[in-house]
Amino acid sequence: MRRTIVILATVLLVLAGSAAGWAQKLTDQPGYVPLGQLDLFPQDKLSVEINIEGALLSLIAAGAKQSEPEFSSLIAGLKGITVQAIPLKGVDESLVRTKIGRTVHWLEDRGWKSTMKVRDQGEETYIYLKEIDGKIAGLTLLTLSPGDEAVVINIVGRIDPAQIGRLSQSLNLPHLKQVPAPAPGKKPEKPEKPE
Amino acid sequence: MNRHQHDPSCHEALDLIEPYVDGDLSADEASRLRSHLERCVSCAAELELATRIQSELRALPELDCPPEVLEKVRRAGRGEVVPFVPRSRTTGLRIAAAAAMLTLTLGGGALFLSLQRQPAQPSPEEIAQATQEAKIALAYLGKVTRRASMDLREDVLQKRLIEPAARGVSRSLGGPQKLEKER
Repeated sequence: MRRTIVILATVLLVLAGSAAGWAQKLTDQPGYVPLGQLDLFPQDKLSVEINIEGALLSLIAAGAKQSEPEFSSLIAGLKGITVQAIPLKGVDESLVRTKIGRTVHWLEDRGWKSTMKVRDQGEETYIYLKEIDGKIAGLTLLTLSPGDEAVVINIVGRIDPAQIGRLSQSLNLPHLKQVPAPAPGKKPEKPEKPE
Repeated sequence: MNRHQHDPSCHEALDLIEPYVDGDLSADEASRLRSHLERCVSCAAELELATRIQSELRALPELDCPPEVLEKVRRAGRGEVVPFVPRSRTTGLRIAAAAAMLTLTLGGGALFLSLQRQPAQPSPEEIAQATQEAKIALAYLGKVTRRASMDLREDVLQKRLIEPAARGVSRSLGGPQKLEKER
């Protein structure tokens, strides 16, 4: 009798866990960063705001399968993409810098691994990766270019660094004219090797 | 036959209502009760209530008593000791059925919540827009990492990896003096 109950309870727990996992939300994913809760940038001043998740990513992957197989393969593994950019003109830059620093601490406190940190002439760039069982489950990039723009990117899901690097290097959209270009003669002072 | 036999008091009439509803009264008793009810509103109301209760009870589904329970009752009635059986074959099945119901409820609930959360099917234009936005996100990433990696290549790699490596080679080939000169 007891054995039967134990077996049934185990089966139930497994099934309930599967059901819960099946219905898992983006916010439950380990690579997700709650940018809204962290209040990184003032929402009314965002120049770029991208939020793509769930079924829409699957549809993007399906649509690009024939024409852009690598892009499709990358997107198929993702659970969410969030981008926020804010022009720094007319904004308290020190406040944004403080919030970026706070977000960096938030990430480090939660086990995100620093992959790149560059601080140079006021410009700051951070890339953090979240690893689960040796696989990358999330990527977060924060960058601030003084007098120009601050950007945060959170990519959630199964990420192949080589693939995302290769693909991101190949994309060069006209929209990116707004992205701050490197200042001439700039030299980073404190780079870090990937952990 | 006296008046009391022909015209029962309310007290007596109330005792006759239940058997009347059940059809257990004799024709004479039933006739006497009807005669009383024609003149007594409160007893007539009691009859109506008893009739309604009976009809509602009859409308309830009949429940079958499991044969093993009936058998135990019969044996108990005969004075036999009925042993307590902690586990029957049906117990496991009942637990399994309960587990299945619970699982279905959990799974159904999760499915329902998931479906509730799913937005409407996006249009092709919305998918195209989202595709463009995904590319913009990746391109942003590429732009920033490209910029950083260029800086790293030009400055960091040169100063921190290539030059120290060259100095190490010089040291091993030319000795400390040559190294001092380079410095």
